[in-house]
Amino acid sequence: MKKFIYLGLLALTATVYAQEKGTVSGGFETNSQWYLNDTGLLDEFYNPVTHPEHPLRSNSYLFVNYKIKNWTFGVQAESYEQEALLNYNPKYKGTNVGTYFAQFKNEKIDVTAGYFYEQFGSGLLLRCWEDRALGINNALRGVRFIYKPAKYVTLKTVYGQQRTGFDVSEGKIYGADLELSLSDAFQFAKDELAIGFTYVGRDEATAVVNPKFSQLTNAFSGRINYSHDSFYLSSEYDYKGKDAVVQVKNQIDNNLIKPGSALLLNLGYSKKGFGIDGTFRRLENMSFFSERIAKGNQYNDMVLNYLPSLTKQHHYNLANIYVYQAQPNVILNDASLVKAGEIGGQIDLFYQFKKGTALGGKYGTKVALNYAEYHGLGGTFYILAPQDYQSDFIGFGKKYFSDANIEVTKKWSDAWQSGFSLIHQYYNKKYIQETYGEINTNIIGAETTYKMKDNKSVRVQAEHLWADSDKKNWASLLTEFNFGTKYTLYVSDMYNYGNEDAKLRHHYYSIGNSYRYKSTRIALAYGRQRGGLVCVGGVCRYVPESTGVSLSLNTSF
Amino acid sequence: MKNLLLLVFLFVGITAFSQKQMPNISLSDLEGKKVSVTADFMEKDKLYIFSFWATWCTPCINELDEMNDVQDTWKKSLAVEIIAVATDDSRTQKRIKPLVNGKGWDYKILLDSNQELKRALGIVNIPYTVVVKNGVIVHIQNGFVPGSDSELFEKLKAL
Repeated sequence: MKKFIYLGLLALTATVYAQEKGTVSGGFETNSQWYLNDTGLLDEFYNPVTHPEHPLRSNSYLFVNYKIKNWTFGVQAESYEQEALLNYNPKYKGTNVGTYFAQFKNEKIDVTAGYFYEQFGSGLLLRCWEDRALGINNALRGVRFIYKPAKYVTLKTVYGQQRTGFDVSEGKIYGADLELSLSDAFQFAKDELAIGFTYVGRDEATAVVNPKFSQLTNAFSGRINYSHDSFYLSSEYDYKGKDAVVQVKNQIDNNLIKPGSALLLNLGYSKKGFGIDGTFRRLENMSFFSERIAKGNQYNDMVLNYLPSLTKQHHYNLANIYVYQAQPNVILNDASLVKAGEIGGQIDLFYQFKKGTALGGKYGTKVALNYAEYHGLGGTFYILAPQDYQSDFIGFGKKYFSDANIEVTKKWSDAWQSGFSLIHQYYNKKYIQETYGEINTNIIGAETTYKMKDNKSVRVQAEHLWADSDKKNWASLLTEFNFGTKYTLYVSDMYNYGNEDAKLRHHYYSIGNSYRYKSTRIALAYGRQRGGLVCVGGVCRYVPESTGVSLSLNTSF
Repeated sequence: MKNLLLLVFLFVGITAFSQKQMPNISLSDLEGKKVSVTADFMEKDKLYIFSFWATWCTPCINELDEMNDVQDTWKKSLAVEIIAVATDDSRTQKRIKPLVNGKGWDYKILLDSNQELKRALGIVNIPYTVVVKNGVIVHIQNGFVPGSDSELFEKLKAL
């Protein structure tokens, strides 16, 4: 905290003494939760939800940036009082400075010292970002140098240690990324062509005696982006050098030293009123952390690369019960459950029926189709000592997940519009969560918004999920009233009425309201939180069941 | 708890003398060209509406659908340009281009794939709309409900 006050004072003095006045900007966010006991909400062993030792908790973030000429100075203070919200990384404790930086930037040069965020290519080797809802802040603390000698060249070099809680990782990260826009360099008339190359190195001393792997793990990648008129194509290949595999949490396996790789291919075609896009991805032993032992932690702590599940992110609540998570890891401990990675892809199609046509009506009709399917990576697996595997390049093993869905949105009049979705999902719980079971679901979702006078409006969202096993059927209803453009009140309920165990047929109700004015939003809600995964951008965090009151406030200045 | 209070006080103190400028950040457009959110949107007295959205955000898409229908009318009476800043990360980024075209949107699209601009502006929830005039943020609209677009238009006329 002291450090933080000094920094604040420093920024203030800088403002006072600077001849040319700089500008100050920033943001503040706080999410508080008051956890309550709830005798009506039982877990599978019939234990009711009880509040944790400190029932009143909040996560707060304040960041302030000071900019003067080519310089920017920034600091982010974070406060987790009394403790962090449930199931956040316990390393987030108390109030302290989370990140700080000083940056110099002009047309050609951009130098940052302190904490910085960065992504190379699609992030399959390196992505440092912040997502407060997930408790991710894996910024690097060190130095970043970006050089743009010409408009078509960008060279980035980074060195640092990764943030973990209010500390940094033992592992040191080196990285370089070069991006060349060939179409700019050679002045192509129509086509766009860009290529990129990445190096990432992780240097971490190991406590393993006589390690069969080297302290420094090297990773390389190349990528290409091409577009011609309405057609486009991009691809990236990543290779992670040989390193010890961590199968079981906290156990570095000195007898299983394997490389990892990723292949991403995307192509599409789109013109006005129509778009089609296909993505293929193959991942093999691709999880990458700034400390080897961090693998398997449930907080996304020290995660170095970004391996999102490439599926459609649904906005219907019930479509987010069985969410796929990318499966990049190696597991050889059980003959009936072996893994070395995943392979699969998705196809998207967007189409607009034009205004004035039979299906388009007065305002047009918009349709989106999506299909995704992922399998375990096929290959030969050796379970008994010595453990090993040989993967096939294009080998489809056990099916992990599929999702076929259609979404139609239709505006009926200036005041009234609706959306309608049908979703079919297959979820192989045994392989994805490493437990048992397979689930097939059908989901139907419909929403409609009706606008009344004086900017008042009402939105109703109704959903139903049919599942053939696990917790079986669910129904959900959400009603939202907007009183003008600033104030919203909502009531919602998700009801697991189909659960075979009558004691577990829970209602997850919630009532809340929010007020928005300019850059400020304040929201207060009361209700039950369903235990499960909270996912943002294909990365998930597990949250336990809870009941309580939540208050959140955010603003920027 | 004391620390938290201190943090809040400091925050209140800082807001008192802050002025909001667009940060000097370059983002890629759909063709992969780098675009500066300051230098490339600097036409004198023109209103630039930066609308932050994502392919998975339904209210964002509703907002952009609405604005796409009315932007021609707006342009008749005001010098205005709408820029749709996609905050999708690499999970959903590939869906942007077909979605934009599939919906027939007529916007300049920028890709904020590691949320650099979103973070610099302190944006927590999307949709979030920032109106910029001569490089300075003159209006912010947080969230979208039916009617927000006409309210925004009234505001624009007053700027």
